[in-house]
Amino acid sequence: MAKSEPFIAVENLVVRYGDRTVLDGVSFEVRQGEIFVILGGSGSGKTTLLRALVGLKHPSAGRILFHGEDFTAMSEGERIELRKKMGMSFQGSALLKSISLADNVALPLREHTALEESTIDIMTRIKLELVGLGGFENYLPSELSGGMKKRAGIARAMAMDPEIIFYDEPSAGLDPIVAAGIDELIRKMQETFKLTSVVVTHEMESVKLIADSVCMLKGGRVVGVGTLDELERSDHPYVQQFFARRPDDEFEDSAYARALTGLE
Amino acid sequence: MNNIPGHVGRWTLNQLAIGARVSVLMVETMTWMIVAPLRGKGLRLKAAVENFVEFGVRSLPIVGMICFLVGVILALQSSYTLGKWGANRFIATLVAVSALREMAPLMTAILITGRSGSAITAEIGTMKVGEEIDALEVMGLNPVKYLVVPKFMGMLLAVPCVTVVAMFIMIFGGFFASVLVVGVDPSIYIEMTTQSLGEKDLFIGLIKSVFFGIAICWVGVYRGMQVEGGAEGVGLQTTSSVVTSIFLIIIVDLVFTVLFYFV
Repeated sequence: MAKSEPFIAVENLVVRYGDRTVLDGVSFEVRQGEIFVILGGSGSGKTTLLRALVGLKHPSAGRILFHGEDFTAMSEGERIELRKKMGMSFQGSALLKSISLADNVALPLREHTALEESTIDIMTRIKLELVGLGGFENYLPSELSGGMKKRAGIARAMAMDPEIIFYDEPSAGLDPIVAAGIDELIRKMQETFKLTSVVVTHEMESVKLIADSVCMLKGGRVVGVGTLDELERSDHPYVQQFFARRPDDEFEDSAYARALTGLE
Repeated sequence: MNNIPGHVGRWTLNQLAIGARVSVLMVETMTWMIVAPLRGKGLRLKAAVENFVEFGVRSLPIVGMICFLVGVILALQSSYTLGKWGANRFIATLVAVSALREMAPLMTAILITGRSGSAITAEIGTMKVGEEIDALEVMGLNPVKYLVVPKFMGMLLAVPCVTVVAMFIMIFGGFFASVLVVGVDPSIYIEMTTQSLGEKDLFIGLIKSVFFGIAICWVGVYRGMQVEGGAEGVGLQTTSSVVTSIFLIIIVDLVFTVLFYFV
């Protein structure tokens, strides 16, 4: 993919929960129209990074630039304007449980636009059709399977025709077939709408299918950024271990005994 | 013993932090309810009406029944003392004044806390656990505007309205018991009731009920927003919501009763 102006530039991002530093000096760039995967193990800070990117967690230091404008320094009004151009698909879908699928998808349209109800109705149908949920307009989220909820969440994220979409663990908790379907959907959205996509995941299978660029996190720091090939050639031990799916070295016997008994 | 100042200090800081968070929530609610509509940002009136129906209209059967029974109890209890002096006709006065100034607002508030205060906490808490609140925020929808303001408006209207109904039913409960059980003449009872009541009594009851409504809603919302973890957190905060809000209702009641005692 040709180099272009970055869509998002993250500069030296630091996020703390109390005394605990979860992200420590994270920097990377997401280019227009690519699928950018944030990869990392449990506790690597990848979910926190995503929450910071969409503005749910305020960073302690550093900047997040969208088209060169600092998201962290914006006023509430500017922030809402920017959010209209963002979509987010949550790990647990986060559909409002008390209203139907159609109402969920229509919600941002009703609140942010002055469109006629009939237009909103058509747009809602299109979005649901897009994710393969045509005909499920009047179902409540609780009546759907996990994979369908995920798809509905993506339809809602697409409601405002965003420029960028964030996916939090899109294939977590789904069986391989359904998960592959979601991966395909992410690809389709990006290809059809030239949609910049940021995907947080720990599933290597998805990464291989969808990633244009990968940023790998460990303990709140970036241990590798680049294309999948570049990362695979990385000589960083953690990156190699992750790609080889090798467990941590086990305790040495004597160290294990010490840890158990607390004796020297 | 050395720890006592430390504990007191931490407790105080903690309470101040809670106070600060509640104040922020209050200011935000007021802004989205009063200032934002003036700037043309709109109010979710339909949701507010739905909440009014849920908090108010649907609570009428239980509030009505309880208040009728409390009216009966008030009449019989006061007859126990007044009857000894041959002053059973004053049951009417006692029931009417206590119903309007005290018992009807209090019983209504406590019942609505149990019914709707807990429901508000559970709903917002579940939404928080399910990332629904985060989802609203990412969509550029302010959770206070979308969720809290309609509940607040519904509650602010529901509690006084239900209280007025409760007042009448409680007086009727007293009338029912006095006439059928104690044997007071119905016309005397009605006359005594109308004589003893003034606008001031109704006003005092209504003022109390407005503040009860504010307390129920804010405690409910605040506790819901405090939910952490999963279903367990929701249960914990829901219990705490009901207890805190009944406690606050009694405190508010005390403050107003003392205030109007001197005024």
